[in-house]
Amino acid sequence: MKRRTFVGAAASLPAVSILSGTARAQSKEIRMIESGGASGESIQKGYIDPLFQKTGIKVVRESPSSLGKLRALVESGQTSTTLFELGSGIVLQAKKLGLIEKMDWAAINPAPMFPEAKNEYGFGYSYFSTIMAWRKGAKEPQNFTEFFDSKAFPGKRCLPDFPHYCLPFALQAAGVPIDKLFPLDVDLAFKKLNEVKKDVAVWWKAGAQPPQLMKDNEVQYSICWSGRVVGDPAFGLSFAGGKADLSFIAVVKGSKPEDKAAANKLFYEMSLPENQAKAAEVISYTGPSPELDALLPKDKLWQFPTSKQNKAVQYFENAEWWAENGEAVNKKWEAFKLSL
Amino acid sequence: MTGSGIRFIAPLLVLMVVAFNAPIVYMLGLAFWEKGRGFTLEHYEGLLETPVYLRVLGNTMRIALIATIANVVIGYPLAHWMRGLGSRARMIAIALVVLPFWVSILVRTYAWIVVLGNGGLVNRFLQWTGLTDAPVSFLYNELGVTIGMANVLLPFLVLPLFATMIRIDDRLLQAAASLGAPPRTIFWKVYFPLTLPALAAGALLVFILCLGFYVTPAVLGGGRVPMISNLLDTLINQIPRWEQASAISTILLIVTLLIFAAYRRLDRKASA
Amino acid sequence: MSDIRLEGVTKRYGTFAAAEEVDLSVTQGEFVTILGPSGSGKTTLLSLIAGLNRPTSGRIFIGGRDVTNATAQERNIGLVFQSYALFPHMTVLQNVLFPLGVRKIGGAEADRLARDALKLVRLDGLENRRPSQLSGGQQQRVALARAVVFKPDILLLDEPLGALDRKLREELQVELKQLQRTLGVTTLLVTHDQEEALSLSDRIMVLDKGRTQQVAAPTEAYLRPANRFVAEFLGIANFVGLPDGRQGLVRPERVRLSTNGAANDSGKPAKIVEAIYLGQMVRYHLALEGAQSIVAAVPFLGTAHVPGEQVTVSWESADIWPVT
Repeated sequence: MKRRTFVGAAASLPAVSILSGTARAQSKEIRMIESGGASGESIQKGYIDPLFQKTGIKVVRESPSSLGKLRALVESGQTSTTLFELGSGIVLQAKKLGLIEKMDWAAINPAPMFPEAKNEYGFGYSYFSTIMAWRKGAKEPQNFTEFFDSKAFPGKRCLPDFPHYCLPFALQAAGVPIDKLFPLDVDLAFKKLNEVKKDVAVWWKAGAQPPQLMKDNEVQYSICWSGRVVGDPAFGLSFAGGKADLSFIAVVKGSKPEDKAAANKLFYEMSLPENQAKAAEVISYTGPSPELDALLPKDKLWQFPTSKQNKAVQYFENAEWWAENGEAVNKKWEAFKLSL
Repeated sequence: MTGSGIRFIAPLLVLMVVAFNAPIVYMLGLAFWEKGRGFTLEHYEGLLETPVYLRVLGNTMRIALIATIANVVIGYPLAHWMRGLGSRARMIAIALVVLPFWVSILVRTYAWIVVLGNGGLVNRFLQWTGLTDAPVSFLYNELGVTIGMANVLLPFLVLPLFATMIRIDDRLLQAAASLGAPPRTIFWKVYFPLTLPALAAGALLVFILCLGFYVTPAVLGGGRVPMISNLLDTLINQIPRWEQASAISTILLIVTLLIFAAYRRLDRKASA
Repeated sequence: MSDIRLEGVTKRYGTFAAAEEVDLSVTQGEFVTILGPSGSGKTTLLSLIAGLNRPTSGRIFIGGRDVTNATAQERNIGLVFQSYALFPHMTVLQNVLFPLGVRKIGGAEADRLARDALKLVRLDGLENRRPSQLSGGQQQRVALARAVVFKPDILLLDEPLGALDRKLREELQVELKQLQRTLGVTTLLVTHDQEEALSLSDRIMVLDKGRTQQVAAPTEAYLRPANRFVAEFLGIANFVGLPDGRQGLVRPERVRLSTNGAANDSGKPAKIVEAIYLGQMVRYHLALEGAQSIVAAVPFLGTAHVPGEQVTVSWESADIWPVT
């Protein structure tokens, strides 16, 4: 309680906090838990390496990140890990559970960012899309109504085993336009899913599954993360009706002030468009700078979730709705899975 | 003697209790304890109100039972066949049974995709011989999960069973033959009863391990075979509702203990 | 009840002959022991008769029936192992009922037969025990009861008393003999224990390296062995040179000792090397002139010679048996 009031007070007094930020001792090494794989590599190359060159601060990465792990960290009272990667919906849950600190945006003093990335409780560092993709040679759907129409578009499907992905896509298939998806009509979504479930061979849990299953010809159509399929000639894809979402990095509750000071330095590096361009070389996800497009290779703009042509045809994740309804929907999801 | 023995073993006991037992008790306690409100049964009430979690538990039991039966049907003849081998062939057979232990469970599980997938070895063979036109769906259903779990757990059944079988004196079987018993009678009246305790213990072990299986149902079930550990993963890592997870775990633990108690009773009756 | 006949029975494992051209005829009700050192092929022979194994050549007849290629189940043989081979998961009574059940004898009749068999081996009252709750001697009695309860044509015993201690073994030898006499069952016993063979059998068959050495009554084989192997295998053998150049066997109990010089013409001076007190007997190891040693067994009558004493040893010429 005391700490929170202190942080709040510091945030309300930017001048003081900047002063104290420079004066306060600053750790030479902090730890971060992120989701691993190529996105972890992109954090390393885009932000951690430049930070080390400029300041000598080391950031040690671990993976994977899950809300359960964060809860275990905080409840055990440890302070060794400062930064934690969370999905957009998870940031709200973590905030509710008191697992993350408020961001000290004044101390970070970031370069210009999209407003949704500058969250009170997290730094939105990476836009990613969940889109439809298919094995090259399969008939190409234009939208999710066609994607789920197995008569006109024969083949097995591979869908995420997560309700917050599947439900909005099912609603699109039922004819709901992308700007009217939320609040979700859960019953209609499950009704549509019940119609199409016979065509779904695999419900995936790991992002690596759908591209592999399409390559093995186990399935012909997938809903998957854009970064896993763009640029691979074996697949066709479309951003139409896709879900744009944002990954956040947050500060673990109870972190030491000197670790937080070092973390703020990293957040600053993460706000710089030139660093975000470096990260985008590793994975085709994009950072939150409005000036980033200009720094990306022109011929690859179509691959990125936030490029103008793609951002317009996608809907944006509604984390608030999921924070409210997630648990109830999950029970229905388990019931649905039992009916497979 | 015993006193000094306890002294030597005490650090290990403390380690076990602190590192292993205490966290489990803490996890189980979560289901009964709400921060700031004290004792509560609401998480169990929640389970009863949304029976979907209990149905997943029931589904898990059913699949575990099928996988166990499959294991018994494959493992018993295998162990029996190994008993009859010469010592060199027996060594090779044991090595082949144990070999999968040295391979990561993830690799073993993915290997089944290579074997049983639509473009896998089995389907290509079936289509080549003309037995089927379209690929047979071995994977991403209960069959795939059962095959995968039976494979992964087979050594747990075969090894103790085999150890029991080779301890059966051949003269016991010869005595039965000389007393006039035909091979079928020798098997069912002498051989099988002597292997039954090991079979039951092995099957129980396999069943309990099946209940907690995560990787194989996740990969080979294609997300279509809901099992309790995958549900617990969601409740612990994604939602996270540790209290609910704890309540389900408690029920799982009680059911497992009941099965174990029933087995012990049967076993004691059989050997009394 | 039947007789047993072996004709030229041979069992080879590769080039190794476990049994070579063995002939044997056991008459109905007879008790015959196959005696030999370990590796002599005696257990092989028994397993061939029991049908657990097939001979490479030769024929086996039981009760006049050629059973050479019959299975163990078809031979109606009572078989008792050294290791008892009781079914550990069955009670004593269930063990004895087993061969009856196989023969479709059930109910009160089976129960009566089984209890009679157990009474015969003095185990009545222990019907509901498990084998593991019995002593070795009791277990072997159960095995016997189980082997005779179905009135087998012949009884085969494979070192049945080998696992028991000496006192128990002697007790059970007596019981075994009585049981065999009561039932009148043709019995073939396999043992390496020559005392057991001599005390139990009507006739013994001495086997070495798969070949028959002698088939004879125990006293006959003991006193008039067919060859040197039999002479040495059955008890202690003294060999003395004969005028014709052959060797003669003199058993220790036929050797006489005296202290008063040459009482008869064949007396030889000897020195006591060792005196071993055996209860009713004293066994002396003596050194003759020319480093030849000799063993004498003399009834113990209160006094004994001591090592180092000079004595005279002698034997009757009728007690010498020439061996080849």
